[in-house]
Amino acid sequence: MAGATTPVRPDLEEVFRREYARVVGVAARVLGSRDEAEDVAQEVFLSFGRTAVPAGEAGGWLSVAAAHAALNLIRSGRRRASREEAVAAGSDAEVPDVAEAVLTREDRSRVRAALATLPRTQAVALVLRHSGLSYAEVATALDLSPGSIGTTVRRAESALRKELNRHASSE
Amino acid sequence: MRHPSEGVLRRLVDEPAGVPDADRSHVAACSTCLRALDEVRADAELVGAALTTSGAAAVDADAAWARFSAAPAAPAPTPAFRPAPAARNRWRSAVRRPAVAALGATVLLTGAGVAAANDWLPIFSAERIDPVQVTSADLVQIPDLSAYGDLQFTREPDPEQVPDAATAQERTGLAVPEVGALPEGVTGDPTYQAAGLVEATFTFSAARAAQAAAAEGEVLPPPPAGLDGSMLRLQAGPGVAAMWAQPTGVPTLVVARVGAPTVASSGVPFETVRDYLLSLPGLPDGVADQLRSLSPDAGTLPLPVPAELVTSSTADVDGTEATVLTSRDGLFAGVVWVEDGVMTGVAGTLSADELLSVARGLR
Repeated sequence: MAGATTPVRPDLEEVFRREYARVVGVAARVLGSRDEAEDVAQEVFLSFGRTAVPAGEAGGWLSVAAAHAALNLIRSGRRRASREEAVAAGSDAEVPDVAEAVLTREDRSRVRAALATLPRTQAVALVLRHSGLSYAEVATALDLSPGSIGTTVRRAESALRKELNRHASSE
Repeated sequence: MRHPSEGVLRRLVDEPAGVPDADRSHVAACSTCLRALDEVRADAELVGAALTTSGAAAVDADAAWARFSAAPAAPAPTPAFRPAPAARNRWRSAVRRPAVAALGATVLLTGAGVAAANDWLPIFSAERIDPVQVTSADLVQIPDLSAYGDLQFTREPDPEQVPDAATAQERTGLAVPEVGALPEGVTGDPTYQAAGLVEATFTFSAARAAQAAAAEGEVLPPPPAGLDGSMLRLQAGPGVAAMWAQPTGVPTLVVARVGAPTVASSGVPFETVRDYLLSLPGLPDGVADQLRSLSPDAGTLPLPVPAELVTSSTADVDGTEATVLTSRDGLFAGVVWVEDGVMTGVAGTLSADELLSVARGLR
């Protein structure tokens, strides 16, 4: 094995174990599929292993990278559609209905498709925020001012809600 | 006082403690703001629910690590970030062609005008976090216009990796800029790439373009008089680059110089051809922007920068105004300038300050 593998950063395993769940969570919010999210996470860590990003910034870097990679996957149209469908179908019962809104599987697909068309910063900020990063963490990860995160996330949510309404009213 | 912005209301939903006291007490006493807050909260919950995935079970980090460490350590891992290969014979695919992610050298070096410096952008978008090796074939390229007419190459660039800077200069007539002091973290000897001038003639064909439009399910807008059969001469290069990489092959610093791409037309003015291409159905916005910024004058650097991905500023490099680009995630930066029809660029996984000092120290 010696010499056969690419040299990787020594803290990779530690960072991997610490951040893996969050990275999968970020990608899964975009993709709606746990399996695909885990694939994305593997690739993101592979890339991370070849960077010199300081360990303290790894969480932010990995989250941003996972969001981008997942959004790229949606936009590239190279998704394994059958898997997404299967997972989405199985998930309907588990998603809580919130604010009197009953979200169908189509609604969620629509939101994800719309997500991929938002300005990238908006989409990433939104996904990171909904993945549990604080406003300060999102701001640091995206190099934005903390005061602007609320506005950025709000714009994204407003656009996605309009997208849902547009379809609701046209049906 | 004024009503707080929607951004403040949005934060109030998630992190009330992060909102100034004055704003909080205003909202609590203001029916307008309370209504707005309700709407903001409802949207947040709706979107949150839409993005929630099933299967809340914890991920298995052990199994994931086992899979990760068992994966073969390929020198150039790829999948999710690598764009699909550009379709052949489709101009706009060719123009968008982001295959040269890497650290930007290519970008500098890419493209007959249309692509040109705009190809910097994929690098700075951090959309592809996998660096890709710069190959000599990337040095100079002509966009594939064959969907819209006849594309004849009149000069081939014969790109290749060369053993040293002297050979690169011999091949191209361009001196590889010599770096004074390497920034910290950049070590070893660079590899050198060289490519000669590439030149192609494009003859617009209304029949061919109509075919391309039909393939998209569209009807070709009537071409302006004289356009059918008119010609463009596209030229790019020559180009040289020196690239430093980590032992893993990941590029850390690229210094490149290339003849700025030019376009010339016969008969119908280039602007007419460009404006017509812009009117074609299905042309993506990004390509349209690139076309709009292209001019027959190679002395200017067309550089429309998507502000959400890249911060752009200017700096002085030995008396010439240079454009400094920094990815918002801070991973990449680049400095590029044009002097006497020659573009020089420095890019890498370094800070803008480090790159500027490399740029100013070039000999």
